Amino acid sequence: MVNYILQRAALALAVALTVSLAAFFLLNIATDPAYAIAGEEADPEVIEQIRIRYGLDRPLWVRYMDWLSGVLRGDFGVSYYWNKPVAALVAERVGTTLTLAFSALAVTICIAIPLGAMAALNRNTWIDRFALWLAVSAQAVPNFWLGLILIILFAVMMPILPVSGDSTWQHFVLPAFVLGASSVPPVMRLMRTGLIEVMGSDYIRTARAKGYRGRALLMRHALRNALLPVVSVLAVQLGQKVGGSVITESIFAINGLGRLALQSILGADIPTVQMLIFLFALVFVATNLLADILNAALDPRIRIG
Amino acid sequence: MMTRFTRAFGPVVLATGLAFGTLAAAGPQDDTLRAAMAGEILNLDYLYTTRREYIVLAQMTDATLFNMNPDTQQIEPGVALSYEFVDDMTIDVQLRDDVRFHDGSPLTAADVAYTYNWVTNEESESHAQALISRWLDRVEVTGDHSLRFHLSAINPLIIRDMAQRVMLRKEGAYHQGDSVDTNAMAIDLIGAGPYRVASFEPGVEVVLERFDDFYGNAPEIGTIVVRNLPDMGTQQAELMSGGINWMFNVPLDVARSLGAQPSIDHLAGPDLRVSFIVMDAAGLAQEDGPMTNLQVRRAMNHAVNKPEIAEFLMGGGASEAIYSACHPVQFGCVQDVMRYEYDPERARALLAEAGYPDGFSLDLWAYRERPVSEAVMADLEAVGIDVNLRYVQLETLNQARAQREIPAYIGTWGSSGVADTALIARVHFSDTSDRHLSGDAQVVEWVMAAEQTADQDARLALYSQAITRIAEQAYWVPLVSYSADYLVTSDLEFPLDNDGVPRLQNASWK
Repeated sequence: MVNYILQRAALALAVALTVSLAAFFLLNIATDPAYAIAGEEADPEVIEQIRIRYGLDRPLWVRYMDWLSGVLRGDFGVSYYWNKPVAALVAERVGTTLTLAFSALAVTICIAIPLGAMAALNRNTWIDRFALWLAVSAQAVPNFWLGLILIILFAVMMPILPVSGDSTWQHFVLPAFVLGASSVPPVMRLMRTGLIEVMGSDYIRTARAKGYRGRALLMRHALRNALLPVVSVLAVQLGQKVGGSVITESIFAINGLGRLALQSILGADIPTVQMLIFLFALVFVATNLLADILNAALDPRIRIG
Repeated sequence: MMTRFTRAFGPVVLATGLAFGTLAAAGPQDDTLRAAMAGEILNLDYLYTTRREYIVLAQMTDATLFNMNPDTQQIEPGVALSYEFVDDMTIDVQLRDDVRFHDGSPLTAADVAYTYNWVTNEESESHAQALISRWLDRVEVTGDHSLRFHLSAINPLIIRDMAQRVMLRKEGAYHQGDSVDTNAMAIDLIGAGPYRVASFEPGVEVVLERFDDFYGNAPEIGTIVVRNLPDMGTQQAELMSGGINWMFNVPLDVARSLGAQPSIDHLAGPDLRVSFIVMDAAGLAQEDGPMTNLQVRRAMNHAVNKPEIAEFLMGGGASEAIYSACHPVQFGCVQDVMRYEYDPERARALLAEAGYPDGFSLDLWAYRERPVSEAVMADLEAVGIDVNLRYVQLETLNQARAQREIPAYIGTWGSSGVADTALIARVHFSDTSDRHLSGDAQVVEWVMAAEQTADQDARLALYSQAITRIAEQAYWVPLVSYSADYLVTSDLEFPLDNDGVPRLQNASWK
């Protein structure tokens, strides 16, 4: 297992570096950071001054190698836009994004798993049909639209929650629901399919023959195996929540990594964009690795295999 | 996509919601004006910034030697009581003796000299350096409250630059012993304006408190909180729920929709920003391209229906069609120039005369106000020009233009809120600017000559010649002036100024 983890960690690093290389060249081809930093009405002299100050007049590959050597020393550079070390900038915001991501994941788990289980146990009834309808509807609703509707309902019409910001736990309720809701359909469907499959398997039949019924049958025998694919998906969803919270954080003015990513891209803040892409790639690979480890822990057959 | 959606449907949904719901009260109870800005506030030091949001903040936190009256465009005393030209290259300035910085220390001539000498020092890397270095050699302290400015060049905008670009700093503000810190004022700003910074979280919120020792008229509102809310839909929701009292740069459709609510007012006033099409008359991108042909450029001027764009797409309080290559209220922006009224038939005839009876293909670049860009595209296509609209980020357009890849683009310019043609002419018609696509040496000569004399009559004559020739040669298609649209809660009195710069320090409660 240790070898496996080390292999995956090396892969994560390779993926992150490859993605950062692609991002670096694409960003530099797409835009000139000096213009973005200077602002819309800056004098040409100011733009040139900025280009020289930030070393943007050097060849692209020199700048990338510079960045790479910095990364190897643990130095991710200084943000053009925020004018402070990128690592410090990310460290300031990572807590907010993790809070949002885990809250959203909790929302997903609390809705999707019971709903999927209920749909599976009541197959072809109105409960099942309702759950499937809910899943389809939730998938069809874009995050920004759901966010807007929730703001209207719970912050404007019934002002019980704040519209935007991140200073109290109440500020996270709506965004966590918006971000969590987007993951409900795949997790719920997977839970339903998995449980239906498990409930029809031989060992469940054996358990029934031994007298297990209802809750005991579900909790002790069925759920554990039905959760296997769900755990993998949840781990990937966590990665998506961390990296994909751009729209939700922007709508609710949450000062996390997603909003930072958007600001950095719009401001052509290449050092920050690179670090975030590097970080998000690592998070994705790490959460996939976590899913594999959890699966191995839940299913002894995977460990043996 | 998100912004377009929320712009399109946000007001409708919110208005529907209001019909069934109740509004949280927004008002002056805590004497705090909460304003929203979409652009991130990252640096409070205007010596190191340029965007409009920072101008708005600097007006509140900083003091300058002189003030500009936005209605009359006249220079008025600020920290300085008066100025006097000793000769063409020397100005004496007399300061007030009752000005204090936000930390309580008195402002003296040494502080002013330090500020100006620092700005022009290459080490400062100030965004104002290029502008001020054009005319300032050094500043000398001649008394506790008197200074002498030694100039390096004559420039008609010296006093205006003093009024608008150089915010005064304490002596040594950027120095700690031998070390220099250009970010020293970015977060912990010590200004001398009507509001002092109580707290600042970059990208999130700036809290300003009224500065009781301010030398000028005290603002009426005690606290101003500026929040960064990037999404327009969120700003609308905050406005309706009482979370904010003021938002600006509001799209016309949103402003009209929400302004119809009883608790919200839509305010619209003039703005110095104008839009225009710049054509590659010099053939920098395409040596013998259609844009090098005068008849084609005139045809394009006749093809675009500017009055309808102004009325139906820009709208608001003050948007209007323009015919000169500047804003009509700017000094030197003469209006009796060759006019190209909307006349598609004339445009088709001119194209045929130019040898393009079947039109031609044109890459038209744009970065702002997409509906306007699409209207222009439709008008040009109606006379036979096959337009490929390249709608991109501003930085991409700038980069392509610098690489001489743009045959024509729709540009906009706000002149930093300064009502003088110099602010738009130099950057678009000088050899040092990559925005200059006319290739007309005569226009460049007039524009540069206008910057080398302080004689206002001579300047007016030079700009008149330049603007007239630009129109005759149809180097631009001037389009429309902008309107500044705001949404405010109806308990807020917010006066609008002619230069389109919002001055929150002049707001009060009704």
